Amino acid sequence: MTRIVLSTSESGRWLGRIDRLPPPVWLALQAAALWPHWRWAAARVADGSDDPLGLAALAAFALLVAREVPRMSARPSGRWWTAAAIATGAATLATFMLPPLIGAVFAALAMACVARAFLPSGHATLPMAGLAVLALPVVSSLQFYAGFPLRVVTAQLSTWILQLAGLGAERAGTAMVVEGRLVIVDAPCSGVQMVWMAYFCACAMAGYGRLADRAFLRRLPAAGLFVLAGNVVRNSVLVAMEATGRPVSEALHQGIGLVVLAAVCAGVVWVIRGGRDGTQ
Amino acid sequence: MRLFLHPPGPLSQIGRVLWCAAIAVFAAVLSLVWTSPARADDSEARKAESPYFQVNSSEPGTDRLPLKSTTVDVRIAGVIADVTVVQRYRNEGQRPIEARYVFPGSTQSAVYAMNVRLGDRLLTARIKEKQAARVEYEAAKKEGRTTALLEQHRPNVFEMNVANILPGDDVRVELHYTELLTPTDARYGFVFPTVVGPRYAGAPSAGGAMPAVPYLKEGEATPATFDIQVSIDAPVSVKEVTSSSHDVRVDNVGTQHVKVALAPTGSRPANNRDFLLDYRLAGDRIETGLMLFRGGDENYFLGLIEPPKAAPSRSINPRDYVFVVDISGSMHGYPLETAKVLLQNLIGSLRPSDTFNVMLFSGSNSMLSPTSVPATRANIDKAMDTIRAMGGGGSTEIVPALKRLAALPKADGVSRSVIVVTDGYVNVESEVFQLVRQHLSHQNVFAFGIGSSVNRHLIEGLARAGMGEAFIVTKPAEAAAQAERLRKMIDSPVLTHVKLRFEGLDAYDVEPAQQPDVLGGRPVVVFGKWKGDTTHAKLVVDGRSGDGPYRIEMATAGHEDNTSSALRLLWARQRIAALSDQEALEGGSTQKEAITALGLQHGLLTQYTSFIAVDKIVRNPNPALSPSVDQPSPLPEGVSNLSIGAEVPSTPEPSAWLALLVVVGVVGATLATRRRKA
Repeated sequence: MTRIVLSTSESGRWLGRIDRLPPPVWLALQAAALWPHWRWAAARVADGSDDPLGLAALAAFALLVAREVPRMSARPSGRWWTAAAIATGAATLATFMLPPLIGAVFAALAMACVARAFLPSGHATLPMAGLAVLALPVVSSLQFYAGFPLRVVTAQLSTWILQLAGLGAERAGTAMVVEGRLVIVDAPCSGVQMVWMAYFCACAMAGYGRLADRAFLRRLPAAGLFVLAGNVVRNSVLVAMEATGRPVSEALHQGIGLVVLAAVCAGVVWVIRGGRDGTQ
Repeated sequence: MRLFLHPPGPLSQIGRVLWCAAIAVFAAVLSLVWTSPARADDSEARKAESPYFQVNSSEPGTDRLPLKSTTVDVRIAGVIADVTVVQRYRNEGQRPIEARYVFPGSTQSAVYAMNVRLGDRLLTARIKEKQAARVEYEAAKKEGRTTALLEQHRPNVFEMNVANILPGDDVRVELHYTELLTPTDARYGFVFPTVVGPRYAGAPSAGGAMPAVPYLKEGEATPATFDIQVSIDAPVSVKEVTSSSHDVRVDNVGTQHVKVALAPTGSRPANNRDFLLDYRLAGDRIETGLMLFRGGDENYFLGLIEPPKAAPSRSINPRDYVFVVDISGSMHGYPLETAKVLLQNLIGSLRPSDTFNVMLFSGSNSMLSPTSVPATRANIDKAMDTIRAMGGGGSTEIVPALKRLAALPKADGVSRSVIVVTDGYVNVESEVFQLVRQHLSHQNVFAFGIGSSVNRHLIEGLARAGMGEAFIVTKPAEAAAQAERLRKMIDSPVLTHVKLRFEGLDAYDVEPAQQPDVLGGRPVVVFGKWKGDTTHAKLVVDGRSGDGPYRIEMATAGHEDNTSSALRLLWARQRIAALSDQEALEGGSTQKEAITALGLQHGLLTQYTSFIAVDKIVRNPNPALSPSVDQPSPLPEGVSNLSIGAEVPSTPEPSAWLALLVVVGVVGATLATRRRKA
């Protein structure tokens, strides 16, 4: 049953006007309320302390929301509004006591919750939330916290692969000595960028494919395995080439990295689309 | 709890208004508490103290090479050189910058003035306590005023900071210093170092932090130009004016007024090695005698006394030689080849009655033999084979090497000479001097500095602490002559037990307080203050030469010269050097007050006083946005990239933008395919 309320008072008419504001305006208002977090993120990207990859995730998030605008309900879900309120509150409190990135993550989640509030019941949330978080400058922080373990794991797995291939390889920390030559697996080799790319790919595919949250969660670990395997293969090939003692050109470095990345992304797409079943 | 068990329904009008109000309040709160600008927290942190290669910045609009030229004007009058160095900084970028430049100075220089010319305005620098000057500089920098700060890190390493150089600005910083030229074997030498060699820092040192110095790669020339002009005024004609480091054009040679300028050299840069100039006076004279200056508060004197000619030694005492050779990465290539030639000359000329040993050090050290071996042909050949097989690499851990040396057993009645061969590219000068003074002072320590831009502070300090002599060898061709000079010195010291006193004049604050033995053709040099009447006074020097007791007397009458005001600066410089030596021996900053007081009183740059010039006008409205630019130095000629570190290959991921393009391509292609199928 549709209720029609006609306001006769001035305040009532104003409330009516507010009520008729389209969902994108509410999203814009929410974004404006959290502007200091975006300012921090923008400054972090502008001062060069993080790669501007987040712009791609932001664009994907915006496209996803724009695509869903026709399906957005005029009556938002109260549950998601509440979640957005809690996330916004957490983002605000975080400015007093937590690092700026944590506050910005809450703010990104608040945006995802507001967008979700207008979408029909059962619509996927996680891919949207994932894109919102990936839109933040997270690569440097990921590098700081996850970079070293990834480098150790990559170096160890590469060492085993090269030993199986008959090369004399040893790992010392995150460095490798292959055929008597030292090759380091330093921060730019950790695979953190590949992690970002793979999860961006997964979120974008799941978002545009309207993959349900539960199915998305089930498939994410496989994406992680693809990344690890891809980085180990890339590292092993390049280390083996460096171990020959002949200088490896920058173009070849880039080319091998891009081919492996394309293969990893193809794998991620395959997994998100449901693997052999092709179900979403 | 109820909220989550029974989710609320869609929002009403009132609910939406409340929501709108709530987020407005959040926005207001966030705006109020958001005060800290978003930027990395390590902006004020000092960089690592190790030298590093300059990385080409992709930052557009920033001039990364603001130093455009260095011009040096040297005026030598008698035995005193007055030097004006003009560094010209020009910002050819689009952003205001702060320029930092670490550059070398002469070990004996007394830096007494600094001016900054900004367009047609002149800013005169003041001497201030180092921390106070740094605070004033930082404040002026933040306010957007153009300011320049000159600090001393070592007696021969300075750092110039010039903040708020606006695009198009032409800032000329003028330094003035004076130094005493002491002749050796009647030959005068003037040295102007142009580049600081890359120093190995090791563990944190008591000598204070050296700033991180960026370097261009081997063979890469800096675009900053270098020019030097020297004028020599002497009481007799000047002859044999030569430079072993640069091609020079000499005018009026054979007269009392000689002018020297750099000759065009083509593609070979002039500022990657020390500028060396040698000359003699007619009749192989040296300017000896007394100079007395009557100042306002105090009077100063300088005594330069020519030693007697060396007499050949009558008896041959058994001698033990220990050669300590630096084979670190910075010695790789031509310096090590020069060291090999030098050692061949030194060891090859040993007498059979001598004993010797060789220590090679870099990150660790090794001895040719556990104890010294006789200088027989077989042992010399074995040593030469070891030396010829040496290859440079690794760090420069000189302190453990000297500690091991101090612990070496020595036979009674044997006179031991220690010969250290290094480029001195270390930051641990104070520890080295302290170690030599405490453990090696009973042995004569001779220091050979090898290379085109030697750390003369370490080499000269080593020799001073070990009561020996410093030698600089810049090329293999000089090795034989320097080895011969050392042999002569060790064989027959010229003057020992030297004592100086004034008769009829009250002399005080005399530097050095104790005169070292005179080993070669160098004069006895003494600075001090005096009171009284010079009419009937005289300076008396007593000592013991090869022929027995030796005495020189010099009358003071007629030696007062009111133009020699540089004597007060040179005396203060000498005093500061003595206090610094004392401080190094005691550890910590025990002489800080005395050195600071001397620096402030005489307006001299020291390790505790700095020159600061500040513009009165605020010129940069956004000083916080001005990046700091570290002016890179060229590697000293002949020093390889190994002195800084070899590049280790790694396996970086592809560039972010190309990777993103691939990912977007994969996602886009998949979605497009799916749409077509649908």
